[in-house]
Parts: sequence; structure tokens; C-alpha cells
Amino acid sequence: MSSLDFSPRAYVESTIIMTTVRVVSPFVFTFGLFVMFHGAESAGGGFQGGAIVASSIIMLAFAFGIEPTREWLDDDFVRVVIGGGASTFALIGLGALAFGGPFLNYSAYGISHGVKYGIELVELGIGAIVAGVIVSLFMNLAAGFSDEETDGDEA
Amino acid sequence: MTDALVLLIVLPIVAAILPVFLGILSDRAGWYVALAMSLAHLGLSTVVANAVVTSGRLSYAVGGFQPPFGIELVADGISAPLLVLISLSTLGVVVYARRAGPHSNAFYSELALLTAGISGVVATADVFNLYVFLEITGLATYALVASGRSPRAAVASLKYLFVGTIGASLYLLGTGYLYIATGTLNMASLSEALAGVGYTPAVLTGFGLMATGLLVKVAVFPLHTWQPGAYAESPDTVSAYISALVSTAAAYGLFRVTYTVFTRDFLETVPIAADAFVLLGSVSIVAGSVLAVMQSDLKRMLAYSSVSQFGLVVTAIGIGNETALIGAVVHLIGHAVMKGGLFLALGVFAASVGARTMDEFKGLAAREPVTSAAFAVLAFSMVGIPPAIGFIGKWNIVVGAVEAGSWSVALVVVVSTLLTLAYFGRVIERMYFTHPDEADVADASVSADGGQPASDVSLGMRTVVVVAAVTAVLLGIAGSDLISIIQPALEVYFV
Repeated sequence: MSSLDFSPRAYVESTIIMTTVRVVSPFVFTFGLFVMFHGAESAGGGFQGGAIVASSIIMLAFAFGIEPTREWLDDDFVRVVIGGGASTFALIGLGALAFGGPFLNYSAYGISHGVKYGIELVELGIGAIVAGVIVSLFMNLAAGFSDEETDGDEA
Repeated sequence: MTDALVLLIVLPIVAAILPVFLGILSDRAGWYVALAMSLAHLGLSTVVANAVVTSGRLSYAVGGFQPPFGIELVADGISAPLLVLISLSTLGVVVYARRAGPHSNAFYSELALLTAGISGVVATADVFNLYVFLEITGLATYALVASGRSPRAAVASLKYLFVGTIGASLYLLGTGYLYIATGTLNMASLSEALAGVGYTPAVLTGFGLMATGLLVKVAVFPLHTWQPGAYAESPDTVSAYISALVSTAAAYGLFRVTYTVFTRDFLETVPIAADAFVLLGSVSIVAGSVLAVMQSDLKRMLAYSSVSQFGLVVTAIGIGNETALIGAVVHLIGHAVMKGGLFLALGVFAASVGARTMDEFKGLAAREPVTSAAFAVLAFSMVGIPPAIGFIGKWNIVVGAVEAGSWSVALVVVVSTLLTLAYFGRVIERMYFTHPDEADVADASVSADGGQPASDVSLGMRTVVVVAAVTAVLLGIAGSDLISIIQPALEVYFV
């Protein structure tokens, strides 16, 4: 790398950061899931949990470089996570209609503790959306802007 | 079949997800999803409207949690026509977008999300839920405005983002005040609770914040600054859709908050609230019209015209008698049809002959006869010439103002009609009675051929514009039927 190359990726590997992140991130990820599952009966929920899960991935990107993270976690996968989360929510809601209850009526499923499981699944879905959106926003911002977008065509 | 009411919101959300998945398979999948969504949406809204017409008000407790604790959705004589309007506008815009674009899957996702947001604003009976749907509407609109290719679209979107977020936050803050004062968020139970609590300073603050927030979204004169940029810089398809529905949804929200939540007692006890609406509305009518007359870019002219027309609706909300409110609702519906159609017509002109400014419109009628005729019909309808829908709305508002004894308001409305005639007359005069300079024609055809080769005009695009013009006239002829649907829902507030 020449010193004149002022590309935005001035990334330097740091053993301390990499080791710390390697140890911490699984715990952060698990804690995110924990917060999501708590949406049903105590403080917590998909938004907070999703943000925590996303932060564990962003941490990885900081420690191991953004490009390697992008290769490991490609766009289509993130897209499927976001869509899957939203679909989970919609399907649970619509499923209640199929069982003859109103939209999003968890007790229509007739499972014991159905309300709790229903809310937890919905929270997981929301968590997936939030985590996916935050990660893709981060990746998009990190990718920077190409010149062709700033040119614009004269209307 | 009350499930149709909730499906009106769920269906577009699902339709917003599908292009994300299908985008992996095909680049054009979004359009087919959007078309299927708008057809199904139309079916559902027809079912809802039919149920409302035959058996009156329709209520739906989401998740089986009964109101006031659960979220309630409501369709009545006011929201049902608006829901049908949303479906029809979506269908029209999707058909138009097939050739005109934007073609990306992301665009159709955003469009579907916007449909969900607007349907939610219209269907909900919960003030916090209204905030959520306002934000969905806002976020989808910011993204749609930014889908314009020029850098100015990005600036307009950013401006809208800032101003719109402030507006939504003010509304949310007001909702918080009401919740603290009463402990409920359901509109119907709020109105009962408010009568018990009385109009304490907290409640008054809540009203002020909610109304201001919604007025920002409606784009009434001093708060309109986001609107001309957002309408003018976005792609024509987007301009048409957001001009038809986004401010309409906010104005509907304002109406609901004022009459369902705070009721007429509030307006009578706190006359300054009604006076503020009338004053802001009147200023907006005049200022919007004057600014519209000054524009040379046609899209900007139509944008300022919307400022003026929504001033009319806000004034009617302030006048607050039955006639004026009927006028307000009819004008909301009529304005959506007319303004959406006008923007789509501008899109046709821009794509076929490259005409975007006042000077380029010279002699346009000879080159684009059908679209020009539709444009003229829509413009005269907007001015308020019978039998088109614009007349019914304005007429009821004027009669309402006279009934309430506000002659000054009636005068403002009549003057605004003249000003509307001034800015549309200018365009129509150029289209029909001015011969184009030879150089202009050559220039325009060159730029149309060389500048944008892909975006020629399809039959579908022209058809949508013509259908909008025909709808504006037919709605006017069927005006009394429309009023007979709206009236029962309004009479509730006047017992």
C-alpha cells in the first residue's frame, strides 16, 4: 500500500480488538436474542434485541474489516433475513384469520400458552427486520458513494 | 366480512415484502406484485365500502383485544370512500408506472408500503396507531421522493425528512399529553374521557401539538416548505401518487382528531382553535394560489395549488358546520382525483414532447390532443366549474361558510377560485391558443427523441389520465350520492 493512497479503508488489524470481539460478540448476540424473547412478558422486545444483534455484527465488521464481513454475510442473506422477519409477522397474523379469529389473535391457534409463543415469534420477526436493516444500512454507508450517483442527469 | 378492513393494511405490507424476495429472481417482479396488490386492495375496499353503505359503521378489534385497550380499526361513511379512493389511485399509478417507471423492485416495495401507511391512517381509530401509520407514510414517501434521479430530489427528500419528522414528533408529543391527561388512546374513549377531564392546559397543549404536527403533514401555508420540492423533484409517477394521497391522509387525520377525539364541544369552548384553522386555511388559500401563479415550472405550480386547496379543507374544518365538513371530505376526494390526474398528464407531456415549463406548453394541444383535453377537464374541475367534482366540494364549503356567517371566508374561497382560474387559465391558453415558436418545436422534438429515448408514452399512461378526467366529472354528477354516503357519518358529530 502506498502512503499516497487515501482510500477510506485505512484498516489496521489489532490483536487486542480482534481477540476481545471474538470473545464478546457471541455473548452480545445471545443477549440480543434474550432481549427479544423477553418481549412477551417483561421489558424487552424485537427493536431493542434487533439493535443488539446488529451491534454484534457491526463489532465484527470493525474488528475484522468491512470487506471480509461483507463477503461472509452477503446482501442476499441480509435481504432474506429482513423479508423473513416481516413474513413471520404477517404469517402469524394471517394464520389467526385462517383459524377463524381476528387478525393477530394469538389465542385462535388453540395452543397452550399460544399468546406467549405468538408474541415471542412476532418479536423475533421484528428483531430480524431491525437487525437486518441496521446491518444493511451500516454496510451501505461503509461502502461509500460512487461518483455516478452524484452526477445526476439534467432534467 | 369485517376482516377485509384489517387486510386492507396487511395486504400492502405483504406486497412490500414480496419484491424483496422476488428481486433475487427477476428485476421486473415488483410491477406484477404491485398490480396484484392494487387489484386485491380494490376488491377489499369495495367489500368494506359495500358493508358500510348497507349496514353502517364497521369496527374491528385487532388481535381480539377489545377497545379501548386494543387497537381498533373503523370504517364509516367518511373513511370508506377514502379507502376506495386509495385503491383506485394505487391501481391507476401502478398501471401508469408500467411504462413510465421507476422500474426497480425497491420502488414497488416503497409504493406498497406507502399504500399500507395511508390505508392505516384512514382506517385506524387509535391516536397512537395513527402516529405509527403517519410515520410509515412519511418514511415511504421520503424514500419515494429520493428515487428521483437528480441530486435535487435527494435534497428535497432530505428537507421533507427533517420537516416531516418534526411534524410527526409534534403529533406524538401531543398524543403523550392526551394519554397523561386521560389514560386512553382510543379515539372514541378519548372523547368521552376528555369531556370528563375538561379542557385543562395539558389537553389544550395536546391539541395544539397534534394539530400543528398534522398541519405540517398537510402542508398548510407557513408549514408547506417541504411540499413543492417533494412534489416537483420526484418522478412523475411518485408526484401523482403522493400529491393524491399523502396530504389527504394527513388532512383526514386532522379531521378525525378534531371531530372524533376533541368533538365540536371543544371547538365551541375554545373558539381560538377553530379561528386558528380558519385563519391558517384562508392564508394558505391565498398564498398558495399567488405562489402558484408565479411559477413557470408546471409541477411546482401544481404543488402550490395543493397548498391552496388544502387551505380550503383546513378552513372547512375550522368552520365546522355539517355543510362545510361535507365540502371538506368531498374536496379531499375530488382533489386527489384531480391533482393525481394532472400530475400524470404532466408526466405524459414530459415523456412525449419534453414539455415541462410554461413556455414549452405553447401549442401543446395540437400535438397531444387527448391528454390535453383531459388536462383541461381536470384543470376546470379544479377551478370549480360544474358539473365536475371540484365544484361540489368548493360549493359546499362556501355554503357552509355563509351558513356560519363567515362572509370573509366565503369571499376568500371565491377569490381563490378566481386565482385558480388565473394559473390554470394561463396554462390552457398556452396549450390551445398560442402557436408554438418554430424553434421551440424543433428543440422539444430533439430533446424528446435524443434526451429520453426509452420513456415514450404508452396507451396505458394516456388511458389513466383520461380515466382520471372522466372520474372527476362522473363523481361530480354523482355528487349527491357521494354526499349521502358521507352524511350519516358526519351527523354523529352534530347531535
